Amino acid sequence: MNKIKDLFKARWMSSLVFLILLFLITGIADHNFLTYSNIINCFNTATMYTLLAIGIAFVIMTGEIDVSIGATLGLTAAMTGLIAQSGGSIGKMLLVCVAVGAAVGVVNGMGVAFFGVPSLIFTLGTNGLIRGLIYIVTDGRTVENFGGPIAYYGNKELFGQITLYYALTILLVAVAHVLLTRTRKGKYFIAVGDNPGGANLVGISVFRTKLIAYILCGVFAGIAGYVFASKYRQVMTVAGNGYEMTAIAACVLGGISLSGGLGNMVGAAIGAVIMSSISRLLVFIGLPSDYNNTITGVMLIVIVVVDSLTQRRSIEMSRRKRLLSRTAVGAAKGGDEA
Amino acid sequence: MTGEMKKQNQPCTLSVKDITKSFGTNAVLKGVSIDLHAGDVLVLIGGNGAGKSTLMKIIMGIYRADGGEICIDGKAVNMTNPSAALAAGVYMVPQEPMLFPNMTVEENILMGFHESSQELKKRLAKHMEELGFKLNLQRKANTLSIAEQQLVEILRGMMREAKVLILDEPTSALTFGEVQALFRVVEDLKSKGISMIYITHRLTEVFEIATDVAIMKDGVITLRGPVGEFDKEMLIRGLLPTDAEMQESGRTAYVPVPYDKLKPVMEVRNLSGYGFSNISFDLYPGEILGIAGVVGAGRTELISTIFGRDKVLGGTVKLDGKDITGLPTARILKEGINFVPEDRHYHGLFKIRSISSNTTSALLNTDEIGRVEINRKRQNEISQKYVDEFRTKIVSLEDLIGSLSGGNQQKVVIARSLSTNPKVVILDEPTRGIDAAARGDVYNIIHQLKDAGVAVLMVSSDIEEVVELADRAVTVFQGRINGEFGHDEITQDVLTGASFGIAQKKAVSE
Repeated sequence: MNKIKDLFKARWMSSLVFLILLFLITGIADHNFLTYSNIINCFNTATMYTLLAIGIAFVIMTGEIDVSIGATLGLTAAMTGLIAQSGGSIGKMLLVCVAVGAAVGVVNGMGVAFFGVPSLIFTLGTNGLIRGLIYIVTDGRTVENFGGPIAYYGNKELFGQITLYYALTILLVAVAHVLLTRTRKGKYFIAVGDNPGGANLVGISVFRTKLIAYILCGVFAGIAGYVFASKYRQVMTVAGNGYEMTAIAACVLGGISLSGGLGNMVGAAIGAVIMSSISRLLVFIGLPSDYNNTITGVMLIVIVVVDSLTQRRSIEMSRRKRLLSRTAVGAAKGGDEA
Repeated sequence: MTGEMKKQNQPCTLSVKDITKSFGTNAVLKGVSIDLHAGDVLVLIGGNGAGKSTLMKIIMGIYRADGGEICIDGKAVNMTNPSAALAAGVYMVPQEPMLFPNMTVEENILMGFHESSQELKKRLAKHMEELGFKLNLQRKANTLSIAEQQLVEILRGMMREAKVLILDEPTSALTFGEVQALFRVVEDLKSKGISMIYITHRLTEVFEIATDVAIMKDGVITLRGPVGEFDKEMLIRGLLPTDAEMQESGRTAYVPVPYDKLKPVMEVRNLSGYGFSNISFDLYPGEILGIAGVVGAGRTELISTIFGRDKVLGGTVKLDGKDITGLPTARILKEGINFVPEDRHYHGLFKIRSISSNTTSALLNTDEIGRVEINRKRQNEISQKYVDEFRTKIVSLEDLIGSLSGGNQQKVVIARSLSTNPKVVILDEPTRGIDAAARGDVYNIIHQLKDAGVAVLMVSSDIEEVVELADRAVTVFQGRINGEFGHDEITQDVLTGASFGIAQKKAVSE
């Protein structure tokens, strides 16, 4: 019984309720929406956002941010395409994607955790740098016309219209979730975001934890890049532009606090589905998809403002409680009667 | 007797030798040595800035010492980071507990271990039973009271088999009952042979729990020994600055303030807020009222509440008979109260603006320096006037304020608050971080204010400063005024005693 209660109190639960409500409202607006294949499609299209979101969730969990993941996705997608054009194997593509993503993560992690540059500024810098690299790697041309096994797997369905990639992504979500919430080292991410000073005092290295978070974030962005290339078989130089915002919004919608230390991977995955569904839902509700960005922007701002207000309130409340206990009746007794 | 004998034969649990540490050119620790035997409770007292916290942070591996040695059980340990200190068996319960607010109590305690969680949980249950703690392990840390958070911190220390526990002002945010409970825990730990360093600002606590006392002053330990060799008067004397006599003889001829002819400009009655309660005092024009006390006594909270930056919970503040309780800061400024904050950098200065922009920034919402466009000439006239008056050392009024020394920056901040012609000026730690020469200038400026009929309310942790400047003084202890002193009564002993919670009237009259 208690377990069920806890389940409903969890932050990601409200995201799930929100997602179901979104589906129901759209269903009321247009009965044609509520079909099995439409709903499964909402999940399938969330594959890349889900990968990006669980990657960046590690970073957000430690209280930092990474706005270079969209560019990392673009770069790795372009490299995947180039390897495919020259007839390389899928193993080679994945290896390159993971290695490039990890390298970006090391650079970001060093800049933020070692040199202490504010993470938004530093990753904005690497974002520009990677965008530049995409032009160099591709000579400024769209990478396309590649086939082979990568094209075959791109939209392969496993069972019941669920794509192979989404199924594998769900597997990764489960692994990341267990890693973050069930293992000792995984909890370091949460601890560092919750209270860096306290983490330091119990012997957790804040630097190492943040560095690993950035590397994981880069690796997941690299995998997302592979999926992008495989799915669309056409990688433009601007591929992945703005995906970082969607991924961040997915995390926030999924109950991960931007100030760190709060939330989990299941929430991030649900948030990703919400984000990827919105454009589809708009079509059914009858609004032009021009509203897509505006609506996600408004949602993001509302949630972030509410989140930061509640955080500030709880900090202020505990400060006041502390000050009040100093002057509480009896507290002064300690020394006066000398 | 036998206890003493036994102690001598054992190696020290913690032995700190000749630790030195400087921040820039400022030597904070000048060769500090401490020895702790098993079961010792060393109470460390000392004024603000004596170096206690720095020393603890070095023992804990948060800072690195410039020189000296730390030994645990007779073996030298290289305290390069907190993990090294933890591994060596040192644990610090910081003044503000450093828990992970969004995690459960259990997660908080078990964070950072490498053993299996089954085993850890068993050990935790054992420690809790031994100490008689009853805590719901599934509660979130942000629902715990400060006292409960400290228990969690102590359990963390126990789980690490800590031999040395550092308690940094553990009672500063506890109620009376909680303090008693904490003392019982300290007794328990003591009987288990755990050594403790206990930092406090409350002298009465020394005699309740200490086995040894040490007084720290200006980066050195000036006095230490078993608690039996001390009484309160000795401790207070130990806390006084060494050159006390010299300072007092240097005071200039004093012109008393004719209080019977004056009407108070500001009346504070039973004012309560976050961090202080039931505060009453009058402030007269042309006087300097010193508010003494240790950091955390509630003085800063008091004045920032008067200045409208925090919520008033009860009582009234009147300025010239007009009720200004709880008005927003902008209105209070307009009514004629000005505030020179403690931290120039955070609250006082616009660092990348010129000296003249800074001096006149408080006039921006008046018509004094132009209605729409800023009148540069007027701005410079006003600034030049204060630069001349205060002997501020500048090259040009257009220089960035960041290029000035601390003392000269402070002069600009005071000039700014004067440019609005206030009735009351509140100064919070007016000479913190300022060198001796500039300090004299700031004192002169404060005297000028007084001569001009401005009422000055001065908060200072520097007792010498209060003795030097104040016409009257009150001391704040744990959020309440516990002493009020006329000019003749202000001495270093009296103020130090009262700041540390001991009313000294008796000792003075003898």
